[in-house]
Amino acid sequence: MLLSFFRWMEGLAVYRSSIYLGPGVNLVHLVSMCTFMGALLMVDLRLLGAGLTTQPVRSVARGAQPWLIGGFIGLVVTGIPAMMATATMQYASKVFWFKMYVLAAALLLTFTVRWKLTRQEDSIRNQPLAKAVALLSIVLWMTVAAGGRLIMYL
Amino acid sequence: MWPPPFRDFFVWASTLPGSQYLREDAPSFFGTFLTVHVLSMCLFLGLVLMMDLRLLGVAHLHTPVSQIQRRLFPWQLLGAIVMSISGLVLLYAQPVLYWGKGFFWVKMLIALPLAMANLMLFHFTTYRSVSRWDTAPKPPFAARVAGGLSIVLWVTVLCFGRLVAYDWWTIVENVS
Repeated sequence: MLLSFFRWMEGLAVYRSSIYLGPGVNLVHLVSMCTFMGALLMVDLRLLGAGLTTQPVRSVARGAQPWLIGGFIGLVVTGIPAMMATATMQYASKVFWFKMYVLAAALLLTFTVRWKLTRQEDSIRNQPLAKAVALLSIVLWMTVAAGGRLIMYL
Repeated sequence: MWPPPFRDFFVWASTLPGSQYLREDAPSFFGTFLTVHVLSMCLFLGLVLMMDLRLLGVAHLHTPVSQIQRRLFPWQLLGAIVMSISGLVLLYAQPVLYWGKGFFWVKMLIALPLAMANLMLFHFTTYRSVSRWDTAPKPPFAARVAGGLSIVLWVTVLCFGRLVAYDWWTIVENVS
């Protein structure tokens, strides 16, 4: 059932119109990733008590938010066709599914606990919790990035 | 200029201790170091982009420019160091492969030096007067140009680096 869906996606041959489409989508995926990671890391570093420590967490998070969301949209919009082009290989790859599960966990963390923590006043934030969440956020998103890179090699 | 010069040097480098080992007898080496290169790039380029967007006057407008410059610098440097070391090891393992890659030469000899020159030029000229425009949402014209150029040049470095993986503009040689 799921496999036939992946076969159907590959059959669409989303990259058939040009040999530059695949590499082009890939490059946009990477630039989106850097934008997303920059916006993510500067807030996580701040939660860990590093980086922009002279600014309130809320202010750093508010400044980073449009780039976090924008970067993520860029990643999804380019990631989906990249996956569709080689869908049956992705389906068979353990690393692809691992990346998707970690991505789900990372999204859940980012839009629940981390979202709430980065909107609190600095004075009422539970610091040990904030540090644990920031560290987990870095580990999860870096694992997603590593997973994407390793699909071809593992 | 094509084929590129110094072929003998790159062939010699491929015979150095460790180079052949990494190339032929360490199957997980390439994927591992490529991943380290990409993850350190996330740290370096991610934070550089955030700094550049502030210089352009489009992001983090509530944070003084000097704070962004000074406080993010150690992390950008950490990213740059890990990125450089992993990149050098990747080159060390397959010197002849990269010698035959047009995009590799453009990345290293044009894009990267231009990105560094822009960074140094900004740091030693426009940035000296930062105290006068530190909290301005829209930094002066020269600072916005430096920020915009930095984004364009570093993204160019990234793109040429990624394009090395494709077989365009490539001389294939078998050296073991």
